[in-house]
Amino acid sequence: MKRKRTIFAALVIIFLAIIGFTFSQKSSAKADSRIKIVFWHEMTGPGQVQLNKFVKEFNDSQNKYVVVPQFEGNYNEAVQKILNTHGTSTSPALFQSMDISTSQIYNSGYTTPVQKFIDKEGYDTSKISAVARAFYSKNGTQLSMPFNTSQPVLYYNATLLKKYGITPPPVNPSYSDITRVATELYQKSGKKVKGLSVEIYGWLFEQFLANGGESLANNEDGHSGVPTSVNFSGTVATKTMKWLQENIKSGAFMNFGAGSSASANEMAAFLSGKLGMFLQSSADISQLTAGTKDKLGITYYPHADGQKSNGVSIGGASLWISNDKSSEVQQGAWNFIKFLMNAKNQATWQVATGYLALNKDSQDEPVLKKLYKSQPEAKVPGQQLRRTKPNNTNSGIFMQGLIQERTLTQTAMEQIYNGSNIKNSLVEAQKAMNSYITSDNLANKVNQK
Amino acid sequence: METQAKNPNFNIASKKKKSAELSLGYNPYAKDKLYAVLFLGPSLLILALFVFYPMLRTIYLSFFLTNNLGKPTVFVGLKNYFALFSSNAYINSLIATLVYVIAVSIFTIAIGLVLAQAATKKVAGINFFRTIFSATMGVSVSVAAIFWLFIFNPSVGLLSQLFTALNLTPINWLTEPGWAMTAIVISTVWMNLGFTFLIFFGALQSVPYTLYEAAQIEGVSKSYQFFHITLPMISPTIFFVSIITLIESFKSFGLIDLMTAGGPNNATNLLVYRIYQDAFLNGNYGLASTESVILAVIIALFTFIQFKVLEKRVTY
Amino acid sequence: MSIELINISKTYNGSDFILSDISVKIATGEFFAIVGPSGCGKSTLLRMIAGLIPISNGQLKIDDKDVTNLPPQERALTMVFQNYALFPFLNVKDNVAFGLKARKMNSSEINTRVNHALELVNLTDFSERKPGELSGGQRQRVALARAIASDAKICLMDEPLSNLDAQLRNKMRSEIRELQQKLGLTLIYVTHDQVEAMTMADRIMVLNDAKAQQIDSASNIYDTPSNTFVASFFGTPQMNLLPIILKENKQPSDVETNLKFSITNSLKAGNYLVGVRPNALAIDEVSSKTNAIVTNIEYLGTHSIVHAQLDNSLELRIEVSSTRNLSTTERVSVSVTGNHYIFSEDGQKLLNTNGGYTDGNASQEPQLQHSI
Repeated sequence: MKRKRTIFAALVIIFLAIIGFTFSQKSSAKADSRIKIVFWHEMTGPGQVQLNKFVKEFNDSQNKYVVVPQFEGNYNEAVQKILNTHGTSTSPALFQSMDISTSQIYNSGYTTPVQKFIDKEGYDTSKISAVARAFYSKNGTQLSMPFNTSQPVLYYNATLLKKYGITPPPVNPSYSDITRVATELYQKSGKKVKGLSVEIYGWLFEQFLANGGESLANNEDGHSGVPTSVNFSGTVATKTMKWLQENIKSGAFMNFGAGSSASANEMAAFLSGKLGMFLQSSADISQLTAGTKDKLGITYYPHADGQKSNGVSIGGASLWISNDKSSEVQQGAWNFIKFLMNAKNQATWQVATGYLALNKDSQDEPVLKKLYKSQPEAKVPGQQLRRTKPNNTNSGIFMQGLIQERTLTQTAMEQIYNGSNIKNSLVEAQKAMNSYITSDNLANKVNQK
Repeated sequence: METQAKNPNFNIASKKKKSAELSLGYNPYAKDKLYAVLFLGPSLLILALFVFYPMLRTIYLSFFLTNNLGKPTVFVGLKNYFALFSSNAYINSLIATLVYVIAVSIFTIAIGLVLAQAATKKVAGINFFRTIFSATMGVSVSVAAIFWLFIFNPSVGLLSQLFTALNLTPINWLTEPGWAMTAIVISTVWMNLGFTFLIFFGALQSVPYTLYEAAQIEGVSKSYQFFHITLPMISPTIFFVSIITLIESFKSFGLIDLMTAGGPNNATNLLVYRIYQDAFLNGNYGLASTESVILAVIIALFTFIQFKVLEKRVTY
Repeated sequence: MSIELINISKTYNGSDFILSDISVKIATGEFFAIVGPSGCGKSTLLRMIAGLIPISNGQLKIDDKDVTNLPPQERALTMVFQNYALFPFLNVKDNVAFGLKARKMNSSEINTRVNHALELVNLTDFSERKPGELSGGQRQRVALARAIASDAKICLMDEPLSNLDAQLRNKMRSEIRELQQKLGLTLIYVTHDQVEAMTMADRIMVLNDAKAQQIDSASNIYDTPSNTFVASFFGTPQMNLLPIILKENKQPSDVETNLKFSITNSLKAGNYLVGVRPNALAIDEVSSKTNAIVTNIEYLGTHSIVHAQLDNSLELRIEVSSTRNLSTTERVSVSVTGNHYIFSEDGQKLLNTNGGYTDGNASQEPQLQHSI
């Protein structure tokens, strides 16, 4: 009996201790009286690590706000979650959303444009990359703040070109420059090394048009009004597709297909020296330098022969402030955005992730200078970004249904890569997209004129 | 109550119960009903909430255009249905799905049966092979996808290295339409084999060995034994497996998403994957609902046909 | 067709023999039963004859032709299985025709044979039914019909009646026997049921401990069992086996209270087993000297089996006429009235029956009362 009592007493003590511990935990959490800023993001890998460091730094410097980061899976899933939770207690105060969802988020009316805070505080936006800003603005209003930003570039394996005695492409190459290098590489390697790969990826298709100064959607790519039709089969598109198709047929270019497996295969081939050049996001740079001992070369996005490059737009995501939170909370979210955009943090961000530093002053930061010293080629994407003057064809497409656009252009590219008639494939995709736009605009009650 | 009245014994019993009811003031049938509600209630509620409501909602949404928040805004009647059936891309998906489903079902059953038959042989180390044959049961789709992506990789993959070693032109497995479908079918069949093998193996074990002895004494050849004893004896199992495989392959998603994402040129854009794309990538819930309804009808139709045709051939 | 087994043995691991040195010659048209307890290897032996299981050692001849290593179909025999081995997905007719079809026989020949076979087993009316729609006895007949249709002159049967109820089994016994004689089959019949073996077979092989214990006709096995195993395996109720000690001076012992036997005095002194069948014992109603107590009575209609304990605590089974009214715990006087057998102490050898010599010297007279 006595023994039983002792055991019982011990259990009661343990139980009480656990309760006490939980309470003390809770009360310590309650002790943090700072205002919570829930921040939804979709960063993985080094991006997530660096982002969490920023959050910690910001919180440590604050006695008014505390940012609570929450990872929300991939971009597509996040968009649906943001739209579906708006107005509930779980919705975020600040969220990251991908480039092509811009129009959709804007049209939802669920956000406060960051322009409101810019105007209120007289924030100097001229420090922030104009091309990047242009992508996320509408009629001169900054809707969201560009955050993780990349540009498409051309990577080449400098060591491999040297081995076969091939002159590398110029920093601003034309299609024929690339054809030359690719063909030489393919022939001199005894057809063992492929010259170039352009992944079947709608983003790259859009960039070819942007660099050629050709609108993809009407109403100036949606910057002057809601698009009602698209043009996939213009001169630039046709010319580019012809270039790709011919070289794939000759064997100098490689087709890795579409989807995540395509980019993984492309990367694997490049790193193992079986592919000489490829077009991809500038954010791949850290992965490429880590993956091979070969010297990496980077050029601007190639442009069609006989015309100047108009410059490419960006990819990545931006930061939005929800309008279902109090103005105090919104202010806190804006403060955090400002913190992320300062010169030092942007420089750190580029070094850690390969995404471009958007603050012009970042170029003078020691961390970035150190990177350029060890990897001079890492300068190239930033240079491409800064030299581009934003206009209506290189500032992204302000249109809903861009995912559908990418699916359809990718299908067209697949057909073309496999030898189909270029015009037919592009026109077919264009028709499908136009009918999609018509019903989408109808469903969203957009006036069509 | 009518049938109860016909049974004199029951009548007496119920009369007795009625008198008890009067005296005690409680109704035994009411109590039964209460129990029925209590027992069935929770599952009915769950079914209603998670099965019937989404089903009806899907049918409802299929008559609408939805805006970018997923709300139905414009009633279009059967227009979504007409749009799909007049779209080449959708018809191609439909054909691709049929090709895929039929190829997967046939190969899964044929190879599963061959492996199971081989595993019934009593030879040294057979347990090792039995384990290997059933091993894909424990492999998740993502792991399988990584495994097959490595095999099909055009530059460093196992197959391309093999082809190069044999002086053959490597095949671009995942980027050429015909081969991509082949690659997906191969991977799916491989994934299915573990389960199919186990089921068939069990079925073969339950065939009485005296049937084979009887045949052996009559001098019946091995192949005649297989086709005239084994197959008819396990025909109920084959029927079961074929229905399961068919329905499962109609619903295939993971491998497609991870290996080809519907490409190249929509060659592997099966109906389920198209629904996913339309709903969760394009935010086109109305159209996606229409596609879901059509897919459900197709699966129901196939299952019905299978029951009608195969049931006749399931011989006992 | 005759079958000859010459020193046939079976082992799976090379050292433990499931069957060893089985030899017998079975004549054409003979009904030969192999009987033994379960696990004695009788089904294995049958499957070796059939060719389903390879023969480890020894030789098998059919009609003087060595078939030891021939596959089953070249041995020209047929087999009926305990579970009938019917195909559930075929109707009766197709079941019977299965082997003939597989051998690509022409269809009119198949029809003739199948119809004939079904007629012989009285199943013509059931030819379109599936096995699932038949009774146990009918299924058994389908299996028989299949054996008949194959037209082989040797038929092997593996406990064909064990799944039937007692009444049906009796009926089928005589049907099988009749069929065998009508068709002139050489039939090897495996069973664990000694009654079946005795009632049906021309000769019986008793199998136990991997060896053939005795091969002989039913009556010879019953009358002169070669050892205690055979003696107690045949005959119901089982034979009583009682230990006995013969003393040097051949003096009777415990005469007053125990059972009296007459035993030849040519037996040396030593330990023996005496076997007495229950029907060779009687309860003496006249004698007032009791020597046993009734412990149990099994009533069987025409007669009863009385279990009694001798005063020296040995148990006995006695068959008595049912008219006799006995009750348990009643004291009775038991005496030997019929044949009895003397076995060696280990039970392996029959030495003497009914007091006479088993070595043929039956004329020697001197006998001695002995009791246990």
